[in-house]
Amino acid sequence: MTTGALLFAYNNNTIDYVSMAKWTAKNIHRHLDIPVALVTDVMPTLHEFDKVILVQSTSENTRYFSDYAEHVVWHNTNRSNAYELSPWDQTLVLDVDYVVAGNSLHTVLNDSHNFLAHRWAYDITGINDFSGLNYFGNYNMPMWWATVMMFKRDKTTQMIFDTMNMIRDNWPHYRNLYANPRYTYRNDHALSIALNIIDGHTLRHPGILWKLASLTPEHNLTEIAQDQYRVDFVTPDKKSRRITIKNQDFHAMGKKQLGEIIVNAH
Amino acid sequence: MSTLIERGYLIPAIDTDDVDYLSCAVQLAQSIRQWHPDANISVMTVKRCNDPVFNNVIPLPYGDLGGFANDWQCFAASPYRQTIKLEADMIAASPVDHWWTLFEHRDVVISQGCRTFYNEPATSRGYRKTFDTNNLPDVYNAITYWRLSHTAKEFFGLVRKIFDNWTQYRTLLKFSDEHPTTDVVYAVAAQLIGPEHVTLPTGLGPTIVHMKRNIQSTHSDNWPQELVWENTNPGLRINTVAQWGFFHYHNKDWKYNEQR
Repeated sequence: MTTGALLFAYNNNTIDYVSMAKWTAKNIHRHLDIPVALVTDVMPTLHEFDKVILVQSTSENTRYFSDYAEHVVWHNTNRSNAYELSPWDQTLVLDVDYVVAGNSLHTVLNDSHNFLAHRWAYDITGINDFSGLNYFGNYNMPMWWATVMMFKRDKTTQMIFDTMNMIRDNWPHYRNLYANPRYTYRNDHALSIALNIIDGHTLRHPGILWKLASLTPEHNLTEIAQDQYRVDFVTPDKKSRRITIKNQDFHAMGKKQLGEIIVNAH
Repeated sequence: MSTLIERGYLIPAIDTDDVDYLSCAVQLAQSIRQWHPDANISVMTVKRCNDPVFNNVIPLPYGDLGGFANDWQCFAASPYRQTIKLEADMIAASPVDHWWTLFEHRDVVISQGCRTFYNEPATSRGYRKTFDTNNLPDVYNAITYWRLSHTAKEFFGLVRKIFDNWTQYRTLLKFSDEHPTTDVVYAVAAQLIGPEHVTLPTGLGPTIVHMKRNIQSTHSDNWPQELVWENTNPGLRINTVAQWGFFHYHNKDWKYNEQR
């Protein structure tokens, strides 16, 4: 059985996702020792990838990024094609802004389940309550995060991705059904709805055993050594604080700061 | 009433000016029968009722004392050695008979806590100020089990005493209501008797899905107009999510068998 990671990276005028993917691929090689395939629309030069899969993005959304203070074009709609695009029997799909700084994902790869994602995320600093992010829609539908998805090929897994595609292709209907005020299609929402459907509407799909450590854009992220990061933040009572995270994977939700770290790393 | 049968469900259904609880009880009994056709189900009511969904229609042993104050009569009225008392304005959205196995080692079990329709523990405490302020157990009388036992007799004796002497008991509580509610009375009785004798550890026993507005994040208590609900016959889905256990619909006008 082949095991590998799958990254999606479509550059736009603001964010260099392919550079992020290169950096993430290096981290994956170092810590997880598995090959990395990239799905993109332009063949990168001098890349770190074991395979490059060229696919034109079928559509584009726009999304407001608070760290750039602007609406940015966002190609996110073919993530649900991961099942058919992946060259691996067991695939670890990661967002390119997921920082692999340790080998904790080995536990996910060795898990007996055929599909896993995070049910819960939390703010590393403890400042932000993520209840608004761990749920979606007007009635707080529980959300599974598509940031990290592990899947093995089988019928159920294929149905999950087929259902995500159905949801994507009929987004206005599902958006209405789940009372989701968000107009833009989002993979996390499609994944959550798909898991609900596939598991008989019971919301009992198993998740990754730990919560997704996350860093929101308003906190300041810097790299102080390889796999060691410093986060400066301000508490609600206006006190400056900092924490150091070492060998801890996390989701860097602020693309701008991560981009600067990657530029300096090259 | 003499004991007839080992296990059964008892539904108190005493109508008020606003609510036809007997109709609610019929709806509940029908939903239980969808899952358990042979279940023993009795209704305690002051009205005439010939609905075959009930095995027994039981009058109030001490007559109608008004509103919630009739609750303690369930103990004397039950024809079962082991009883699960259910509030009338609920439906069984899934099989529930496995609970007998959980309950049968205890004398009394009152359910604790409630759930959202996503089957997650409710976190809203807006309706539970009296409980939190007075450190009372978070009990919901909607599902109450007892077996004929000294503990059950003592518990329902206390419930009666608290209802009958509410003006004195309420002086013990902060933020108490002028008129006693069954949940608060059960909580005070549980506290006096020892919560460990009448409840299961939190998270172990059954809990109701409670459709009050602040628990479900709906804009109003008229959730049937706001949420998508489907009678899956048997079963119920709310905004596509399959419900399980007892579903406390709260909105008494909602008719499970009248899909809009």
